[in-house]
Amino acid sequence: MKTIKELLRDADPLRYEAPPDQRDFHGQADLAAGTDDCKPTPPLARRWRIVVLAALVMIAAFLVGARVWSLFVSDLRVQAAVRFEVKLAEEKPGPGLHQAKVADSDRSVYLHDEVIVTNGDIVSARVVPGGGPSEYGVNVEFNASGAEKMRAATENHIGKQMAILLDGQVVATPVLRTPIGASARITGKFTRRQAERIANGITIQ
Amino acid sequence: MDAQYVRASPAVAANNPVDRLASLFDLHYDRLYRLARRLTPNADDALDLIQETFLKAARFPRSIPIGAREEEAWLVRVLINIRRDQWRKSSVRDRHDKSQAKGSQLAIGSANPEATLIARTAVWKALDILPPRRRAIIVMHELEGLAIPAIASLLGITAITVRWHLSRGRHDLTHALKAYMGDAQ
Repeated sequence: MKTIKELLRDADPLRYEAPPDQRDFHGQADLAAGTDDCKPTPPLARRWRIVVLAALVMIAAFLVGARVWSLFVSDLRVQAAVRFEVKLAEEKPGPGLHQAKVADSDRSVYLHDEVIVTNGDIVSARVVPGGGPSEYGVNVEFNASGAEKMRAATENHIGKQMAILLDGQVVATPVLRTPIGASARITGKFTRRQAERIANGITIQ
Repeated sequence: MDAQYVRASPAVAANNPVDRLASLFDLHYDRLYRLARRLTPNADDALDLIQETFLKAARFPRSIPIGAREEEAWLVRVLINIRRDQWRKSSVRDRHDKSQAKGSQLAIGSANPEATLIARTAVWKALDILPPRRRAIIVMHELEGLAIPAIASLLGITAITVRWHLSRGRHDLTHALKAYMGDAQ
């Protein structure tokens, strides 16, 4: 019967193995950070895991933050409904007409009181390229009743101006060449962002 | 910080940290290797362990006490602590399964030299069930022939604790190595 001591002595690798060459030791420059004592600090692998975890947490926090921010921003955009109106306009003042300044110009037009179509008559609106580089317009599609109202109003107004108002501001005063039906395009010197804001805003009922 | 310390401590003032580390290395490498090899399953792990120990010494030169005995004690404790960290990383279940599997496989052979080698390896593997500090105490006592008070002062613990670790370690090893103790009769 062998004792533990004898078993261990038999199995002791130092009895069978050649001692290692001391030159096997190579000092490493990339020392791990740790505390300044001889208490055990986490080994490299565990520390790497902590670093990777921390990085993941930061990325996750960033993504969540970005998501929240985008919700916030899109909420702002959603709330910024744009009131859309189309009215007939005249170049000269007359009875029952109200003067209105055209945005971004010195011109004024004289508006009829009657609103032809408004937000409720719009099916969709999308941003379209405008007249020049980095200029954008908004294309508006009317629903059946909206298209009918537009046609009825514009038929008798050929050769004269129509006014498109956003939030009560006249932004465009196209001269009618033909009756307008199912769609109208608001061109203006909008930036893409403005055009998007309008397109998103006017489809809100 | 380091520079300030060197100036403040006359005993170290003569040596710069690099010289200090080199002398530590020359003086204690063999002793540390003997311990490290007996705490690890293979020579590579032992070399890694020593490397980590000296890396720690290189990082914290001012926490190493002066004097050969004190240096040795510091290095031995750091080495055991590093080993403990490594040991904790691998799960207990892994160790248990491994030692069980080896045990049953190894009880078969008896007379031929290959079986002896395998049995020897298995006995060494069985040491892995011991937590590193207990293993170090067993190793120092049974293989290095250190007396209990010497171990106690080296590790900075009481003789009673050393004795307790010894008896627990022997108990666990007796369980794990029952097959070999009978087999070698």
